[in-house]
Amino acid sequence: MSGASNYRTEVTPVWCPGCGGFALLNALTRTALPNLGIPRHQALIVSGIGCSSRIPAYIDTYGFNSLHGRSVLIAQGAKLANPELTVVAIGGDGDFFSIGAGHLPHAVRRNLNVTCIMVNNFVYALTKGQTSPTTPYLQRGEGPFLSFQFYPPVDPVLDMVSYSVSTRASFIAQGIATDPSHLAWLIEEAIKHKGFSFVNVLTPCVTFDPPWLFKTIKEKASYLKEGEPVGLPDSSGEQPWLHDSSNITLALKLAQTSVMEKPHIGIIFRGRES
Amino acid sequence: MVLGSLLQRLAASQGYFGQMPRYYGPQIRGGASGVKLSLDTTRASLPTDTVDIMVCFNWEKYAELKQELPLGIESIVFYDSPPTEGSLDLPGKSFQVSFSQITKELEGTPAAKNIVALGLLERILALPENLSKSAAAHDQASVLLERNGAALHAGKRLLPELSFDELRLSPPKDATARTVLHGNSAVAQGAIRAGCRTFFSYPITPASEIMEEMQERLNHGNGVFLQAEDEIAAIGLAVGASLTGARSMTATTGPGIDLMTEMIGLASSAEIPVVVVDVQRCGPATGIPSKSEQSDLNHAIYGGHGDAPRVVLAAYSVKGCYRLSIESFNVSEYYQTPVILLTDQRLGQTTVATNSDFLTKDYSMAQRKRPGGEHQEQYRRYELTEDYISPMAFAGDKGLTYQATGLAHNEKGRPSFDFATHQHMHEKRWQKLAPLRDRDELVKVLGREESRRGILAFGSSAQFVLETVEDLGLQDEVKVCVPELIHPLPRRLASFVGSLEKLLVVEMSYSAQLYHYLRSQIDLPSDTASYARAGGAAFSREELSGPITELAR
Repeated sequence: MSGASNYRTEVTPVWCPGCGGFALLNALTRTALPNLGIPRHQALIVSGIGCSSRIPAYIDTYGFNSLHGRSVLIAQGAKLANPELTVVAIGGDGDFFSIGAGHLPHAVRRNLNVTCIMVNNFVYALTKGQTSPTTPYLQRGEGPFLSFQFYPPVDPVLDMVSYSVSTRASFIAQGIATDPSHLAWLIEEAIKHKGFSFVNVLTPCVTFDPPWLFKTIKEKASYLKEGEPVGLPDSSGEQPWLHDSSNITLALKLAQTSVMEKPHIGIIFRGRES
Repeated sequence: MVLGSLLQRLAASQGYFGQMPRYYGPQIRGGASGVKLSLDTTRASLPTDTVDIMVCFNWEKYAELKQELPLGIESIVFYDSPPTEGSLDLPGKSFQVSFSQITKELEGTPAAKNIVALGLLERILALPENLSKSAAAHDQASVLLERNGAALHAGKRLLPELSFDELRLSPPKDATARTVLHGNSAVAQGAIRAGCRTFFSYPITPASEIMEEMQERLNHGNGVFLQAEDEIAAIGLAVGASLTGARSMTATTGPGIDLMTEMIGLASSAEIPVVVVDVQRCGPATGIPSKSEQSDLNHAIYGGHGDAPRVVLAAYSVKGCYRLSIESFNVSEYYQTPVILLTDQRLGQTTVATNSDFLTKDYSMAQRKRPGGEHQEQYRRYELTEDYISPMAFAGDKGLTYQATGLAHNEKGRPSFDFATHQHMHEKRWQKLAPLRDRDELVKVLGREESRRGILAFGSSAQFVLETVEDLGLQDEVKVCVPELIHPLPRRLASFVGSLEKLLVVEMSYSAQLYHYLRSQIDLPSDTASYARAGGAAFSREELSGPITELAR
C-alpha cells in the first residue's frame, strides 16, 4: 500500500458520490499497480467514452481517453509497438459491448497481453439513463425502469461474461465494486496473466439504476474459490461442482447463470497464455 | 496480365521505360482483364489512346473492356479465334494466330498461350533473342518462362508464317535495366524507407497491394503488421502504436476513409501522428472498386465533425508515390497531425518501368519534437510554444507521464471546458501547420513562367494533362501546376493562379471538388473553366485536347 498516492493525479473525478468508479480507481491506484510494482511510466491506461472512461485523467501513468468503443484498439496498437508497457483498457458496458462489441472477439483471437476492464453499471449513465446492452430484461408493463424510458427494456440482455467465455478469452473474471480489495486482486491476476484478460466489474449506478438492482446482485453474489463448491441459483436443482478455473465447459456454465440470479465473483476462467 | 507483365519486365531489363495500367472488372477470378503497355526509350510515358499492337484471346471479354481499350484503324491485331460475325470491325492488319491450339499441341493444355504470344511479340518488336533469359530474376515470372520454354519458341517461330514485317523498336537511351513497380508498391517502399515499422490495414480494392507488400516487408520480426477486423480498428491500432513513438500507417480507399474519419478527428485533436493512404476509387458507396476517381478530395480535406485540421498530400507519379510516402511521415511526425496521402487506382495499380535512382537517393527525415531534461519537472504535453508544436513524450518514457484525451483539454492535457482554452487549442492545431504553405517544392509548375494561361490538376489526371499539352505542342502557351500538397493550400499554387488570365481546372470528380476547393480559398481568374467528370475511364489525350485547346485559344 505504500506510495499509493503516486498513481493519482490531482484531478477530482466527475463521478457521483457512491459511484463504482471510485472503487475501481482505488483498486488500481492504491493496490493493484503498487503491488505489481509497475513504474508509472511503464503503464498505459486507455479508455473509451462514458462515465468510467474518464478514469485516465485520474491516474498518473500514461493515459488516453479516446473514442467511444475503440479503447481496445488503441490498447492493442500500443502494446504491439511497445511490448514493455502494461496496457489496460477501461470502459463501460455501452463502450465495450454495444458500440465496440465488434472489436472484442478479435482482441480475444489475437490474445495480446492486454487487460480489459469493463465497468458494468447496466445503464448509459453519462447520457442520463438510457438502456444498455446489459440492462436486465424486464417484461413490458412492469413499470418504468429507467428515468427516460416509457417502457422498460424488452430486449434480452447480452451477457458479456458468457460472450467472452464463448469466444474463449484467455482470462475471464468478474469483480464487484463493493469489494475493492478483491477487485484489486482480480486486476492483479488479470495483469499478470500473459494474454488477453477480461474483467467484468459489477457496479451500481447510484443515479440511474433502481436501487433494488444492485441490492439484488450484492445479496445473491457468491465468491468462486478454486476447488470449492460453486454457488448456484436457488432455482437450480443441480449439485454444486468444485470450481476449476481451467475448465472452459464449467466456466461456460458459470457464465450462463443470470447475473440477477447468481453473480459469480472471482476468476471464472484462466486459459492458455500467449 | 501475365503477358503484359512479362513483356514489360523483359523490355525493362533491356532499358525500355513504360507504363502498364490494368483493366479489370468485378470478377473474383478469371473474367475480363487486360493491360495496355507503353514501351518508351526515354521516359515512362502514358500509353497512347489507341494501341499499335493488340493481342486478344477472347473477344467476348474484350467487349467488356472496349471503352478502355479502343482499337484504331492503324492497330495491328493478333487474335486467337475470330469475333462473332458483325460484333466488331477489325482493322486492316488483323491476324488470326491459333495461340491456344499451338499451346495445346505442345503442352496438352492451352494455359500457356500467353507465353506463345510473348514469343511472337518479342520477335515482332525485335527484342534481343536471349532476352527472356537475361531478364530472369528468380521469381514466379522466370519460373513460368522456364517451364514454358517450348511455348516461347513456338511463338518466336510464328512470325515468318505471317505476312508481316518486324516493327523494330528504337534502341533505348541506354541499356540500364529499369525498375518495375506500381504506385502501391512505391507507397509501401517509401513507408519502409521513412522508418514505418507498424502497419495496420483491412483488405480493400484497389489498396490491398500496399498491405500485402507491408506484410512481406514487416515479416520475420522486422516490425508489426496486423490485418485489422475493419478500418476503424486499422487506424485505431495505428494511433495506439503512434502513442509509443512508432511511425504508423494504414492504407485504404473511399469506404475505409469513411470509417476512419472519427479517429482522424481524434488524432488531430490529441495531436498524434498517423499516416493514412487513400488509393481513390469510384464512389460513392461501393461505386466501381477497380476504377480510378478523384472524388475523395473533399473528405480528405474536410471529413469529420468539428474543426479538425489535417494535411492532405497527393502523388501524381509512381516516383511521387515513393517520395510523398516519405514526406507524409515527415509532415505527420514533425507537426504531430494526421496526414492523408491521396493516390488513386490508376497510380496505385499501374506498373511503371523507370529509373531506380529515386529508390536510393537521400531523403531528409523529420522527427517528432521530444521533451528534454528541462521538461522533467513539470511536463506539459500540449505546451503552447512559439511554433505551436509541443514536445511529445512516448508512452514508456520515464518521468513524463501525461494523459491524452479527445475532450477539449489544456496544456497539460487535462479535460478543460474553459472556452478561451478551447479557442487557443484550436489556434495551436491550425497555426502549427501554417509553415507548410511555404513548401514550394511540393507544388510542381511546368511551362513558361510568363504564360498567362494555366492548368491545375492533381493525381494521375495531371499526367494526362501534361502529356496532352506536350502532344498539342502547347508548352509555350500553357503552363501547368500540379500540387502535391493540397491542404493547407500552398502559397506557390496561389501565386500560380494569381499570375493567370485564364485557368482550366481538370479533375476526375463529377462535382468538381478541386475547383470548388480552390474557389473557397483563393480568387480565381474570371476566365476560369472547370473540366470535371466522373471517373471510371481514364482521361484520354483526345478528350483533354478539347478543353486544353480552348484554353490556349
